[in-house]
Amino acid sequence: MNCHGGVRANGDLSFLFEQTALLPAKSGKKAIIPFKPNLSELIHRIKHEDPELRMPLDADPLSLDEINLLEKWINQGAKWGTHWAYISPDENISPPKIEGDWGYNGIDPFIFKKMKSENLTPSKLASNSNLIRRASLDIIGLPPNDVMVQQFLSSSEKNSYEIIVDELLDSEHFGEKWASMWLDLARYADSRGYQKDILRPEIWRYRDWVIKAFNDDMPFDQFTIEQLAGDLIVDRSDDQLLATAFHRNTMTNDEGGTKNEEFRLAAVMDRLSTTMEIWQGNTMACVQCHSHPYDPIKHEEFYGMMAFFNNTMDNDNDNDYPKASLLSPNERLMKSILESRLSNFKSNGDSISEDYQIALNEFISIQPNSVPIILELPIDSSRKTVVFEKGNWLVHGEEVSPSIPSFLPEMAQNFPKNRLGLAQWLVSEENPLTARVVVNRIWEQIFGRGIVTTVEDFGTQSESPTHPELLDWLALRFINEHQWSIKSLIKEIMMSKTYQLSSNVSDEQLALDPYNRYLSRGSRYRLSAEQIRDQALAISGLLSNKVYGKSVMPPQPDGVWNVIRHVAKWEKSEGDDSHRRGIYTFWRRVSPYPSMISFDVPSREFCVSKRIRTNTPLQALITLNDPVFVEASEALAHLMINKGGESPEDQISFGFQKALMRLPGQSSLNHLSELYHQQLEQNSSRMNAMKEVASVILNLDELIMRT
Amino acid sequence: MAEKLIKELHSKHENHLSRRQFLGSSTLGLGAMALGNLSGCSISSEDELRSNFLNKTGLHHVPKAKNIIFLHMAGAPSQLELFDYKPLLQNLDGKECPPSLLEGKQFAFIEGVPQMLGPQFSFNQYGESRSWVSELLPNFKDIVDDVAFLKAVKTDEFNHAPAQLFMHTGSPRIGRPGFGSWVTYGLGSENTNLPGYVVLVSGQSIPSGGKSLWGSGFLPSLYQGVELRSKGDPVLYISNPENTSRTTRRQVINTINKLNEIEHNSSNSPETLSRIAQYELAFKMQMTVPEATNIKDEPDYIHEMYGTEPGEVSFANNCLLARRLAERGVKFIQLFHRGWDSHGSNDFENLHGGFLKRCEEVDKAMTALVKDLKQRGMLDDTLVVWGGEFGRTPMQENRGGISNPFKGRDHHGEAFTMWMTGGGVKNGITYGETDEIGYYPTKESMHIHDLQATILNQLGINHERLTYPFQGRDFRLTDVAGDVIKDILA
Repeated sequence: MNCHGGVRANGDLSFLFEQTALLPAKSGKKAIIPFKPNLSELIHRIKHEDPELRMPLDADPLSLDEINLLEKWINQGAKWGTHWAYISPDENISPPKIEGDWGYNGIDPFIFKKMKSENLTPSKLASNSNLIRRASLDIIGLPPNDVMVQQFLSSSEKNSYEIIVDELLDSEHFGEKWASMWLDLARYADSRGYQKDILRPEIWRYRDWVIKAFNDDMPFDQFTIEQLAGDLIVDRSDDQLLATAFHRNTMTNDEGGTKNEEFRLAAVMDRLSTTMEIWQGNTMACVQCHSHPYDPIKHEEFYGMMAFFNNTMDNDNDNDYPKASLLSPNERLMKSILESRLSNFKSNGDSISEDYQIALNEFISIQPNSVPIILELPIDSSRKTVVFEKGNWLVHGEEVSPSIPSFLPEMAQNFPKNRLGLAQWLVSEENPLTARVVVNRIWEQIFGRGIVTTVEDFGTQSESPTHPELLDWLALRFINEHQWSIKSLIKEIMMSKTYQLSSNVSDEQLALDPYNRYLSRGSRYRLSAEQIRDQALAISGLLSNKVYGKSVMPPQPDGVWNVIRHVAKWEKSEGDDSHRRGIYTFWRRVSPYPSMISFDVPSREFCVSKRIRTNTPLQALITLNDPVFVEASEALAHLMINKGGESPEDQISFGFQKALMRLPGQSSLNHLSELYHQQLEQNSSRMNAMKEVASVILNLDELIMRT
Repeated sequence: MAEKLIKELHSKHENHLSRRQFLGSSTLGLGAMALGNLSGCSISSEDELRSNFLNKTGLHHVPKAKNIIFLHMAGAPSQLELFDYKPLLQNLDGKECPPSLLEGKQFAFIEGVPQMLGPQFSFNQYGESRSWVSELLPNFKDIVDDVAFLKAVKTDEFNHAPAQLFMHTGSPRIGRPGFGSWVTYGLGSENTNLPGYVVLVSGQSIPSGGKSLWGSGFLPSLYQGVELRSKGDPVLYISNPENTSRTTRRQVINTINKLNEIEHNSSNSPETLSRIAQYELAFKMQMTVPEATNIKDEPDYIHEMYGTEPGEVSFANNCLLARRLAERGVKFIQLFHRGWDSHGSNDFENLHGGFLKRCEEVDKAMTALVKDLKQRGMLDDTLVVWGGEFGRTPMQENRGGISNPFKGRDHHGEAFTMWMTGGGVKNGITYGETDEIGYYPTKESMHIHDLQATILNQLGINHERLTYPFQGRDFRLTDVAGDVIKDILA
């Protein structure tokens, strides 16, 4: 494909499309003549004895098996298959029959069958203390609270696990955890990007919209339509307009001497690429300059797709126009609650009380502000879209109108030919990709690895799914049974036996399946940057419970934000606001929060589907020395001494259990208490000695990992 | 031996990445799998497949340079006042610029018809190479026979931030990996106790391209440049909290590691072992970083030579620090010295103001750095690169169409001067030439992508094979361009 694909078609030969591959090449010979392998130049050349003429050039010859396969294929008529991702899933797919009755729900037989075929044996179930920590981290991103742990570990109810899962799914913290995946995709940040990276101080309302949508379990089809085309919905609500800020997370260039049109187009193309990556698992960005090297997308088809996005009002202006004066969903809710409280006050004739004044002040303080949004240009000032030759915006080719690339399912006639229609098409029954891609993203969030590993790419260069039937079965259930409910999908996954396996690994499993592709054991991966911060604050009791609100600036070292002379200071948040969850930390593209960068957050200039997880000494320095973690160790030590019982050993066990939901083993306890006594001997106070023990707990591998 | 190892890695890699890799292998080549083992860091599970192929296997050929020290003069110094001597321009001083030089050009500030501006300082020829150097660099003139001048470097960008990004990431927009990220991704680091890609900043605040100049972009974060700060912790969070002594820290890490070993006994997870190693490394770095950055240790004659004053934020200190880091095996040492912009629009940003001061700040120190590397025998395998993100116009800048109160020049990317030394580059040569007023190249123009390709070449990397897959395509530092300029190589 490198030599005879979409970019290079050496000797005028490209195998990308059936029609081009069957044409005569430059030599006049046809590479492939269906049913006639002996006359096909392709076969002749791969068998050639002269290495100068033998294909593939400069490489080892193909094996006999490979040659036979190609001959057989041509002999049978050289049928062009369609890549699996573009074929609709089989409606009749169902969990396979397996020997025995391993499993709790429909997911398990798929997994069991595959692991057996790989000669793997499933691990035993995870311990309850492990399971509740895992479920809580996966659903709300935080460790479970003491009450929940107590309730679960002491319960003898058969469905106690399900109760916990339901309780977690109902938590307001659910949206905070799941929003972070979405914000990476939406390339959300609190600044505009490029050189000046001017702040976008009001865009957080969109972030809150996302959190709220997850909390409300907004069906994913609606979630899609509102973000891509909320402005085009008839009688749209303010929230639907706010949702369109999704595509205003593109960057705006405020630098002198730059052409607004150039950067407007950069934003429009980014919207297209981002949309295709998120919903279709398609890496369309290549096609800006040329036909896709591997996937069957033609150069002009990119611009047909771009036409859907090319008709909005924003134009890289310095004021980030257009904007709308909006409240966040939560602000509106608060405002209406306060309003009814105020009116109750009045009816009590209590209008001058202090409470009234406080409520009134609060009511007044909640004011809408200008959030960048998407608006469509009126018909009479619509933009033309043309093909840019080689991707250069100054070199215009033919004019195109909004259209879907031919390798994807057609758009139904009754959908409008605009962004709204595009959004409806993405979540229509005819489009098999969206549900697969989304289900795979959710699966990846939970298991740390997608059924298709390349979550961002389902094209011909993607990795094949490890469990194709399971992916299709889940995708269909997501649409039909779960009615696009993310929460139901998550619950179904978590109720499977597969999910509940212990993550300890046997030597045999490690040898046969080092990366746990076949899920014969529970998965194990490092927590996200946000989770690592949130967990330390939660365990030590420092975490602010506040949900929603504008972005905050927790302490960071002096000088970090000293980025450019033009704009903005890091104004340290005070009180509770310095202990909010990581998702609320102010996100400036040129300088994201330093401890989060080290734990692999993207800088959010572009859509990122999967964070890479590294393991570095700089991370150790953060969890040992960053003032946030030092403060957490101190607070945890405080809890241990004051609430952990009389003896240091009891106090240590208390702290350990608070962190990991289980008591330390005897030797672990011995090591920790040895450290404590060592510190006392070195003239440390009890508090300082316990602080070091707490620091150890907050740095344990088991804690940094989701196990 | 090496070939055998590479072959083995090839097949291992292809087995793992089967289809994706099989189809793309001829262009992906070693580059994609050459992720070095930086500081012994690791990438977990699946990503490891694409990543953790150790160290030297990233080399595509025998390197001439082990390390690189890149001295970036952010703000863009005027080549016409330093190296590119144009006597004719003196004759044109004050004359109106001919329209042929303005047609179809885009300037950052020049409007209407500006006047030509002659060289503001006098020039002389030095060394056996008879290289022209202006009076502003009285020290540097001593080392002209050690360097290769590149007099017709060309960039595509005419604003500071995009041009700096272009120089260091190969793209004018933020979001791509920094030069050193690519290099450490490809080669790893010699020293496991120090970061492989270190950034030192002096002058007025940070360069306008911001931290994106040394971010890891879409590469794993372990390849990001680590800024060694002059004030506060040299590396963020390297110091223990108050009340935690080094003894206590040792005990704390011992305890963490003992508990992690216990954890490993039951989990059997390889990543737990890796974490134990990371904590040991972190502990070592807490020693090595302060040790490496403590320039006070240096003898007096060295301080004299560089003009260093320990404790200050200065280019001189950073030059000395760069030598110390190179000695310790840090692969990519990036210096930024900011404040070169000289438009003539105020009493600071002009050729007789800030520019003059910058020359004083760098002349002695950069000369000392080259001499010092040479006297230690390090110049043979350390590549030193000097230059701004673009050059300046032969016209006087005239924002708003009126003349500026001070002498200054606008941004100019068609042709400007950089110099290189060491690391297998020819000594005492000049590559590239500009026309009589220093506006356009007349021969041997060298594009930024050529410069990048050439630098990578000296480090043992084929720039076309150092790739990383992102958003469906394989990205390179040199995008789809760049030629190694063999004429400047020894």
